[in-house]
Amino acid sequence: MPDTSSRILVPVGESSTFRNTVAYAVREARRIASETGEESTVHFVYPVRWQLVDESERSAADAVAETLERARVWANDDLDYDDDGDLDAEDVSVSIETAVVGEDRYLFSPNDFAEVLLEYARDRGLDRIVLDPEYQPGGSAPMLQPLEFELARSGLLVEEAPVDRVVERSRLPSRANVSKALAMFGVSFGFYLLLAGVFDTFNLVTGAVSAGVVTAVFARISFVNTPSATGSVARIARFLLYVPYLLWEIVKANFSVAYIILHPDLPIDPEMQRYRAAIWGDLSVTTLANSITLTPGTLTVDMDRDSLIIHSLTGSARDGLAGGALERAVRFVFYGRSAARIPTPAERGTIASWTDDDQTDGDE
Amino acid sequence: MTPLEYLVVGLVLAGVFFSFVAVVGIIRLPDLYTRAHATSKSDTLGTVLSLGGIALLFGAEVSAVKTVLLLLFMLITNPTAAHAIARAAHDQGIEPWTASDEEGD
Repeated sequence: MPDTSSRILVPVGESSTFRNTVAYAVREARRIASETGEESTVHFVYPVRWQLVDESERSAADAVAETLERARVWANDDLDYDDDGDLDAEDVSVSIETAVVGEDRYLFSPNDFAEVLLEYARDRGLDRIVLDPEYQPGGSAPMLQPLEFELARSGLLVEEAPVDRVVERSRLPSRANVSKALAMFGVSFGFYLLLAGVFDTFNLVTGAVSAGVVTAVFARISFVNTPSATGSVARIARFLLYVPYLLWEIVKANFSVAYIILHPDLPIDPEMQRYRAAIWGDLSVTTLANSITLTPGTLTVDMDRDSLIIHSLTGSARDGLAGGALERAVRFVFYGRSAARIPTPAERGTIASWTDDDQTDGDE
Repeated sequence: MTPLEYLVVGLVLAGVFFSFVAVVGIIRLPDLYTRAHATSKSDTLGTVLSLGGIALLFGAEVSAVKTVLLLLFMLITNPTAAHAIARAAHDQGIEPWTASDEEGD
């Protein structure tokens, strides 16, 4: 394995050392290009954790595009490009590319992130990965060490950019903002009082103290995104509409399952299915997966890359799932009424039998 | 007996019925995945119905609210547990039973 390479992949995200990491990667590419005379390339890649499904996520997509554009501008500054895109320095050719990856996947674990990045690197023939030491693709969950480990297993050259991290201390407190703290405090205080059941001074004081401790410890990690008051209220209101619907589905499910179980012939026809739901985000996917488990003859077994693996008990249960009523309901709760009008999974062709071929393909 | 008590007894009996269905399902169904269906659905509804009956019996009290909370947590954790068990089996490579396996028995 060569100890250095001029074909560099840089995963990007908002971080305090982003600028310096870009500079380091470009400097390396340029140094090697001038030493060896071969063409260097630097790819800035943004792994995204969601898909663009409605207007509320458009601003997030804009932010990603802006981040990548900034990386490109900085890189070009570092390369001394003039406005025409020509390189001033002679005999050094470095190309800069930017890309968004992971749009068709669920990205949760470091393994998921490593997989999309490595896939991109292999497709483009990149063999060196420069990591930003402050890179946090998983929101507030620390992920750099495991990500580095997963990337290094591939045999590619992986390194952290040797940049100063002086601003780290000022960055941490800013991540816990007022609305996160308020939401956390409100929820835990309310829950405490609910359990106490008596609103006397003792409970109010101990509740405030407990909620304060919980807020101090958990406010930074309980919310990935900053909760907005209007968005949360609308979501909770829609969720309250969803609960009776779900309960009704659960009751129906139980009668059909009870019928099957008590039937002398045990009329079951189980099958595994792979289902690419049009739902993204930790909480909404969890809601959908749990709802599927609770409703007619379907059970969420696993989440494999971009889809849910679902075990169904009968053919009619499969038809119910392919009809997409639950998916639309969950989209209604999390994305609003307009997002609920989408074709059924059967029409989109995102549901199919799951076979062993899929598994060997996925495990690799 | 008051109408409320009839309702409570009805709910608890329905809860017992669905818990019974869950037990029968665990015994009769052929493999782990299908048995998980019985535990995740019938058992959840059985517990929820029984707890709902208990909450009604408490009336407008804090205990009723706590029972409803308990009921909600059952609704959230039961499918999660069923999912965890099925997922562990899936990771171990346990093949799901299909209708074509029946001839082999």
